[in-house]
Amino acid sequence: MSSPSTSSPEQMAIVLTESATDKLLPFATLVSGAIAMGFRVDVFASYWGLSAFRKGPSAPVVSPGHGELGARLERSLTTPKAPSWRGILEMAKSLGELHIYACSQSMEILGFQKEELDPLVESVTGVATFIDTTRSAQITYFI
Amino acid sequence: MTGSDGPPTTPTAPPTRMVVDARGSWCPGPLMELVRVIKEEPVGTEFELLSSDEGSRKDIPIWLNKAGHQLVELRPDSGFDRFIVRKTHE
Repeated sequence: MSSPSTSSPEQMAIVLTESATDKLLPFATLVSGAIAMGFRVDVFASYWGLSAFRKGPSAPVVSPGHGELGARLERSLTTPKAPSWRGILEMAKSLGELHIYACSQSMEILGFQKEELDPLVESVTGVATFIDTTRSAQITYFI
Repeated sequence: MTGSDGPPTTPTAPPTRMVVDARGSWCPGPLMELVRVIKEEPVGTEFELLSSDEGSRKDIPIWLNKAGHQLVELRPDSGFDRFIVRKTHE
């Protein structure tokens, strides 16, 4: 690409703590948009955000409290044309620089092993390392 | 600044045109499809991207501007937009 980013790309940092599909889809959409725009994206997956990355299929989960709209979303998410948040992340990773880290505290508290996690998660990391990696990020999100 | 350092193109041959039908794909699906095919195809290729996502109308030109490729034409059709895009450099 011809953007002035040959030396050091712009960076987006995301702390992900949620696991409902209505959080994961906007999360994956933000990631892929940033990758498309040439950003490097670093994700710290913590607590329920980490549990979302356990291997294997998972049915869509809609956050409670949205009444009829929530039910409508759930129907939408179970149709064959519904986007898969993991699929969006996999495509983003194939097109740019996406790093997803497992929060080491969450790994211990929830009793997860690295092998249980989707290969999208590249390593187990402490929070200080994540802060150090993303200290210059221009955009940061907590989801 | 862009386009002058790419491989030589044959000016007599018409550009290859590739249709990318992303209608029905949700944001940012059409943009990601475009990013993918532009990465894969050679310089000079033209793409005809079809998108029914309303966000594409601004997203695609913004991305093209950032990536330095050319928007040849944006033509609204019935229920979708047609973007003609040319890859101008690697």
